Amino acid sequence: MPKTRLNRKILFLLCILVPIVLVFISLFIGRYPLSLAEVIAILKSGFNSAAEGITPIKHAVIWDMRMPRALMALVVGAALSVSGGALQGVFRNPLVDSGLLGVSAGAGFGACLAIILFQNIVFTYIFAFTFGILAVALSYATGKIYKTAPTVTLVLGGVIISAIFTALISFTKYVADPYEQLPAITFWLMGSLARANYFDLAIASIPIAIGIIGIMLIRWRINLLSIGEREARTLGVNTSLCRNIIIACTALATAGAVCISGTIGWIGLVIPHIGRMIVGNDNRILLPLCVAMGGSFLLIVDNICRSLTEGEIPLGVLTALIGGPFYIFLLKKTRGGGGW
Amino acid sequence: MAFIEVKDLNFSYEESRKVLDGINFSVNKGEILCIFGPNGCGKTTMLDCILGLNKVEKGEILIDGKSMSDLTIEKIAQMVAYVPQKHEHTFGYTVLEMVLMGRTAHTSIFDSPGKEDMEIAIDCLKRVGMYGFKDRIFNNLSGGEVQLVKLARALAQQTNLIVFDEPTAHLDFRHELNVIKYMSSLIKDSNKQMSMIMATHFPNHAFYLENQGISTSVAMMGDGVFYAKGKAEDVLNEDNMKRIFKIKTRVFKNVEEDSIFNYMIPLDFSDGGQWNEI
Repeated sequence: MPKTRLNRKILFLLCILVPIVLVFISLFIGRYPLSLAEVIAILKSGFNSAAEGITPIKHAVIWDMRMPRALMALVVGAALSVSGGALQGVFRNPLVDSGLLGVSAGAGFGACLAIILFQNIVFTYIFAFTFGILAVALSYATGKIYKTAPTVTLVLGGVIISAIFTALISFTKYVADPYEQLPAITFWLMGSLARANYFDLAIASIPIAIGIIGIMLIRWRINLLSIGEREARTLGVNTSLCRNIIIACTALATAGAVCISGTIGWIGLVIPHIGRMIVGNDNRILLPLCVAMGGSFLLIVDNICRSLTEGEIPLGVLTALIGGPFYIFLLKKTRGGGGW
Repeated sequence: MAFIEVKDLNFSYEESRKVLDGINFSVNKGEILCIFGPNGCGKTTMLDCILGLNKVEKGEILIDGKSMSDLTIEKIAQMVAYVPQKHEHTFGYTVLEMVLMGRTAHTSIFDSPGKEDMEIAIDCLKRVGMYGFKDRIFNNLSGGEVQLVKLARALAQQTNLIVFDEPTAHLDFRHELNVIKYMSSLIKDSNKQMSMIMATHFPNHAFYLENQGISTSVAMMGDGVFYAKGKAEDVLNEDNMKRIFKIKTRVFKNVEEDSIFNYMIPLDFSDGGQWNEI
C-alpha cells in the first residue's frame, strides 16, 4: 500500500517527537496535581536544586517518581517491541513475539524464585535476568539437537523450555507464602513499573541498549532471513551467524526489560504488526519505528494504569485490553495491507 | 577461458545413497550450460553445490580460479547469483526492496544498502522492464513478473555467473520466451563475459539459445552423473531422450528464410509403460 506510506522524513521526526511529548504529558498525570508553570519551573531547576516557591514534594513527584517511570516505560516498551519485530523476521512468522524463546517464562521463574528465597528486590532483578538468558540458551541448545530446519526446531525448543519454566512458576506459587510472597509473585507476573527509579533504569538500560543497538545494526539482514534460509544464503548472508547475533540481542533486550518490569505481554506481538501496517515490512524502517511506537504505547498504557483507579492496574492487563481492540480497529482499516 | 570448473564432484545427504557421483564440467565465459534430467536426478543438489549451499564432500569447484571451499558465503554471492525456482512467501516486501536484497553481498554485516546500491537496484529493475512495478508488493505479482524481479535481483548482485533453476516453470509461452530471450541478450550485452547455468526441462530452450548465436552446451544428467555433454544437437537426440527419460521423441528441423533451428516433441513412452507407471 505505497500510497498511504508516510513520508520518511516526517515519520522520522514523529518517532523522535512523539515520545518526548508523551513523556512531558506524563509529568502532569497522577494524583498530585501540578500546573504547567510548576512543571516547567521544576524541569528548568534541574534534577538537584529545587526551584523557588516549589516544595520538595513537588520536585520529588516530577524528578523522582513521574520522570523515571516515564523513561522506564519508554525503554521497556522499546525493548519488547523491537525484539518481537526482529524475531518475527528471523522466524518468518508474524505470530512470534519477544517471549518466543522462553525469556519471559525463564525470567518469571527467576523472579519467583528470588521472591521466595530472598527479601531483597536486587536479587529479583538478578535472578530474573539470569534465568531469562538461561532460558534462551536452553531453547537454543534444544533447537540444535536436530540439524535440519533450524528455525522450526528453535521454535520447538522455545515452546518446550517455556512450558518447563511455566510449570516451575506454578510450583513456586504453590509453595509460596500466601500472605507475603504470593501477592508479590502475582503482581510481578502481571507486570508493573510502579517501582521505577533511576538505579533500576540505569542497570536495565545496559543490556537493553546493547540489544537494541545490535538489532539496529543488523536489521537489513533480518529482511533477508525472513525470505528464507536458501535464498538468504545465495544472496550472501551468513544465516546462522546473523540468526545467533539477533537471538542474543533480543535475549539481552527482553531479559533487561522483563527483569525490571515483570512480564508484559502483547507489546512484542502487536506493535510490530501496527508498524507493518504503517510502513510495510522493510526492517530498515520498521524496527526504528518499533522502538518509538513500543515505548510510546507502553507509556500511554502505564499512564492509564496509574491514573484510572485508586490503586494500580497491572500493566499486562491493560496492554492487552487496550492493544487488542486497537489492533482489531487497525486490521479493519487497512485490511491486512502489511502484505503477509 | 573457464569461469567455473567442477572436478569430480561427489555429494550425499545420507551415507548410503550418493546423490552426485563424480561430476565434471566447466563453463566458459560467455557460455550457457543447460542441464537436463528427470526429477530427482540431482540437478538441484548440484546447483546447491555451485551456490555454496552444500558442502562439497569430495572433488573441487573452482570459480574464476578460486577454490569454492576457501570462499565465504558472502564472497560466493559476489561471484555467483541465483534465480530460484520458487519463492516461499512470508512478509510482503515491495519489488524494489526485493531487488535491493541483491546488494546484500556487497554490504558488510552491520550495514544496510546505501544510495549507490539503491541506484543499482533501480537500474536493474529498469533493465528487466519492471521499474513501473517498484512499489508493488512482490507476493502479489504474477508468475512472469516474479521471474523478472528475481532476475533483476540476480543482476543487482553484479556477478559474472547466474544460476537458473527452471526459470520458465509455470510461465505461459510469451513469458517463457521473454525470459529466455532476456538471458540470451544478457550474455550478448556482457561482451561474452557473463556465464549461465540453467536447469531446465525444455530441450527447445537449448536449441533456441544456440540458434541465437550463444555458445551453448548441454548436459544430460541421470542418477548423479552426466550421461552426455556437448552441443545441443549432439546431446538432445532421440537416443539420449530414450535412455534418460524413457520416452520416444522426434527432433525436427525448422527451415526459415534466414535461419534453421531444431525442435523436439515427445511422442510416447519408449518402454511401453502405462500412464500410471512412472
